[in-house]
Amino acid sequence: MSTSSEPVISDRVAESPEKLRTLLRRMMTIREFEHLGEREFRNGLIRGYYHSYAGQEAVGVGFIEAMDLTRDYIVDHYRDHGHCLAVGLDAVNIYAELFGRRAGVSKGKGGSMHMYNQEKHFLGGDGIVGGGISVATGVGLALKRMGKGGLCVCFFGDGALDTGTFHESLNMASLWDVPIVYICINNQFSMGTRLDRHSSLTQLVDRAAGYGMATEQIDGQDIGVTLAAAERIFAGVRERQRPVFIEALTYRYQGHGIHDKPHNYRTPEEEDPWIHRDPLLILGQRLIEEKIMTGEQIEAMRQEVAAELEAKVEAAKQSPAPEDRELYEDVTL
Amino acid sequence: MATTTPTKTKKMAMHEALNQALREEMLRDPQVLVLGEEVGLYNGVHYVTRGLYSEFGPERVMDTPISEESFVGVGVGMALMGYRPVVEMMRMDFSLRAMDQIYNHMAKIHYMSGGDLKVPMVLRGPEGPGPNPGLTAQHGQQLTLLFAHCPGLRVVTPSNQYDAKGMLKAAIRCDDPVVFLEPGPLNNKQGDVGEDDYLVPLDQAEIRREGTDVTLIGYGASVALCLQAARELERSGVSAAVVDMRSLRPLDMAPAYASVERTNRAVVVEYAWQSYGPGAEIVARLMRDAFWNLEAPVLRVSGKETPLPYAANLEELSKPQVEEIVSAAQQTLK
Repeated sequence: MSTSSEPVISDRVAESPEKLRTLLRRMMTIREFEHLGEREFRNGLIRGYYHSYAGQEAVGVGFIEAMDLTRDYIVDHYRDHGHCLAVGLDAVNIYAELFGRRAGVSKGKGGSMHMYNQEKHFLGGDGIVGGGISVATGVGLALKRMGKGGLCVCFFGDGALDTGTFHESLNMASLWDVPIVYICINNQFSMGTRLDRHSSLTQLVDRAAGYGMATEQIDGQDIGVTLAAAERIFAGVRERQRPVFIEALTYRYQGHGIHDKPHNYRTPEEEDPWIHRDPLLILGQRLIEEKIMTGEQIEAMRQEVAAELEAKVEAAKQSPAPEDRELYEDVTL
Repeated sequence: MATTTPTKTKKMAMHEALNQALREEMLRDPQVLVLGEEVGLYNGVHYVTRGLYSEFGPERVMDTPISEESFVGVGVGMALMGYRPVVEMMRMDFSLRAMDQIYNHMAKIHYMSGGDLKVPMVLRGPEGPGPNPGLTAQHGQQLTLLFAHCPGLRVVTPSNQYDAKGMLKAAIRCDDPVVFLEPGPLNNKQGDVGEDDYLVPLDQAEIRREGTDVTLIGYGASVALCLQAARELERSGVSAAVVDMRSLRPLDMAPAYASVERTNRAVVVEYAWQSYGPGAEIVARLMRDAFWNLEAPVLRVSGKETPLPYAANLEELSKPQVEEIVSAAQQTLK
């Protein structure tokens, strides 16, 4: 494992055709989920904030696919819809949460940034940049004590490296040999502030290297890369019981929230190279090259996924709002 | 919560009572662990964790770096996984560094998850000007209000050694996050403590002294001041009742209402700054629910509204004084 800032481009993993089709479908589901979610946000059905995962699918799907969710746990931050789908939560319940309905993942009381599910080992969802990093470190420490070989995966963005708690947490994780994988989804923006305008070092692995843990920068656009890296890194963490810091290079297609206007702070020209390396496109091309699917079959799959999600949106709309009495439930008064 | 009455008592300092509570709970439940600054090898700055490190080892008594925000977060994470962490703030003043974890995580995850997750942790530490003098402005503050303001937390503060043990044990067994505020001025003070395993409820105020003329209402360290003032008032023929709130969230007003029904007068006493403080909430509830029983305005005696000064005379002046309580009580009787 690299401890330098040199990008490590792992070989694509040799997965079965069936697995590759499944991964494509999962990434498509996230992409289409966010499209429909954005539509419902603009329709006024979703209130507050909406942080779209579009563009970053290969990171979450690759890493979560490699997890053993019978013993591993996830602590996430606010761009969490895609990760909720990747752990296997039903889109109906995720949409219902976004609509503020009783069938929501958090019974309609959390909203977009606050999805939790004990059964799927998904411990949030966190609205505070960097707010979950220390919580994840505690989860990792608990897993170490439990001795079943479980590890914690914590997802956050590049902006979180600017918080004090990131540094405090990595220090403790290294000091205490916590089995945790910190995954910085470097989507190039801390809200509207580009990496070179918010970070003293733009190779983010260098900012984590001071804590004596292995660090690795990977291509976050190619799921073959993220999945292979995840499998190798998780095996190492389980064996060595040491934390690892990953910087996955990717790009956020939308603004920080879908209500903001990214062209205030970035140009279409700088978006272009990323859009040409779209994670769905990369895997789709591979499937075509390896003659696993045709372009037409991929498009048919996309339409099928979109139609399924439309039905999920409709099902979520059928869920009633929480009852008034639920305002005062689940809280000490 | 079920409570038991101990058969034997023994005199000890409040920190020893708290230490007994921690030790008994750690022996009873392997999921209970302690973490914080200098809780282990150093033996606890205010002696509360004394001996625990040598008895239970570094896995259950964890010395942390000076990273308050993140070690509170570690506590939250371990609590989510079913452990029962007792996180020590060396001084509650330092919890200001950890407010994001306390307000946004410890207090809210249960609610935000629609009840799916629980955070059974205790955040504890001393607040206010003591035990030692000269703590000054950043180490001796009484920040009770900041915690009591936040739904999702239970906020309790014992006024005596007996309660300190029983309430800390109850806090550790509670499935809700509890902020356990130890009155700094009482840390080294001696009192009777039950020797066996007993619990004191976390949500019940208690009448400490019956009286017929005026009700003195306090919490934490100010209860001792109220009791002292009541003894002085007795010499001038005034019968003062004393109510110990014990819990500030939830706030159990029933004993105060019952007492005011008899005395028709009240004085609220606290070490905290007066403006917007917990005392203001107590007064507001008296206005709402006990208004027709009151024959005089409810008065207040509080810590002075300045940062805690260093000079001995100024420091003493800044605290609520027994004479001020006596004088306020007499004023309600005019």
